[in-house]
Amino acid sequence: MSSSPARLICPLCGQGHQLVPLAPGERALCLRCDTILAQGPRFGRDTTLVCTLTGLILAIPALFLPFITAGKFGQERGGLLFSGVEGLWDHGMRLLAVWVLLCGAVAPIALLGILAALLLPARRRFMEKSSQFLMRAAHAVAYWAIPEVQVLAVLVALMKLGSVVNVTIGPGFWFYSGMSISLILAWRSFTLSPPESPSDNNLTAEPRANA
Amino acid sequence: MKQHRPRLRSEKLANATAFSIAATVMLVPANLLPVLTTQTSGVSRTDTIFSGIVELWRRGLEAIAAIVFIASIVIPILKLVGLGWLIFQAHRGPIRGARELTRLYAALDFIGRWSMLDVFLVAFLSGVVRFGAFSTVEPRSGIVAFAMAVVLTVLATHAFDPRILWRKQSKPAFLDHE
Repeated sequence: MSSSPARLICPLCGQGHQLVPLAPGERALCLRCDTILAQGPRFGRDTTLVCTLTGLILAIPALFLPFITAGKFGQERGGLLFSGVEGLWDHGMRLLAVWVLLCGAVAPIALLGILAALLLPARRRFMEKSSQFLMRAAHAVAYWAIPEVQVLAVLVALMKLGSVVNVTIGPGFWFYSGMSISLILAWRSFTLSPPESPSDNNLTAEPRANA
Repeated sequence: MKQHRPRLRSEKLANATAFSIAATVMLVPANLLPVLTTQTSGVSRTDTIFSGIVELWRRGLEAIAAIVFIASIVIPILKLVGLGWLIFQAHRGPIRGARELTRLYAALDFIGRWSMLDVFLVAFLSGVVRFGAFSTVEPRSGIVAFAMAVVLTVLATHAFDPRILWRKQSKPAFLDHE
């Protein structure tokens, strides 16, 4: 009896697995190290695309609307997403400013853009050749896209500023938080239910017998 | 025609070791140098990462102090100790408990990004708090060293290949082409 070649490799331990259909919500774990390899999408195969497009739409107001408004002695100042970058840049820390811009804005939006390019059905037909490149780019960018850390940092800044100046949360912060959540959901859905499924059923690895 | 050279696992391990050592070295100035200067109503105050946390605690912001303490001090140390343990185990040869070590690697990979909290925090404060003589926040050189330490720990985690924990022989083996 010949065994078919392994088609899903565990990224952590290198164990190969055969692909089998998964029911919605069902998880497949690595036979060797228990890493979650795949999950049947709970809300259909367009979950990743929906989250990606939601993130891209929310990114637009997040870039331009104020995160917070801070006031003291009659002066008021709005803090935007780019205020942190501006603050570092003006104090001569330009490399760090660029780094903060990359991790907090450029990488998250670039990742959403790459996911959209990979997933939009109309584009996929014409982009077969570049999909491998886009896939590699997505994994490289994902490592540095950390908008959720920026969300926590702004919340900490709010608490810290509260005792010194009058602060209020602006709409930009909520849009940015929504974009962060959309990106996390889109990336998780993308990595656990990749688009190049070989069958119409939701692909994935052989589930553990005791999983 | 371009030929890809197979990378030795020991070569990747050396990269992870080098990044970890560099990150450990960089954590020294990151914790000793000031990260920001705050000026409020004529009173100026310069803080390191740790003194900033103590100040938050004194002002009654215990939860915030705990979050910053975990992100800026506990996570970088935990990550470097964890990586050191993984690298030590990988050097030793056939490994027992590879499953637990792989889970440790996955956990270290996940928590590393949260150390960037302090960098975003100092950046945001310095950009927003600009009220002339009344109130300003100025970033200081310690935050650059801290950001470099965080980036180096992330690179160290990325360089470490957890598949080495599952090898069957102690001598270095070739990886698949990447």
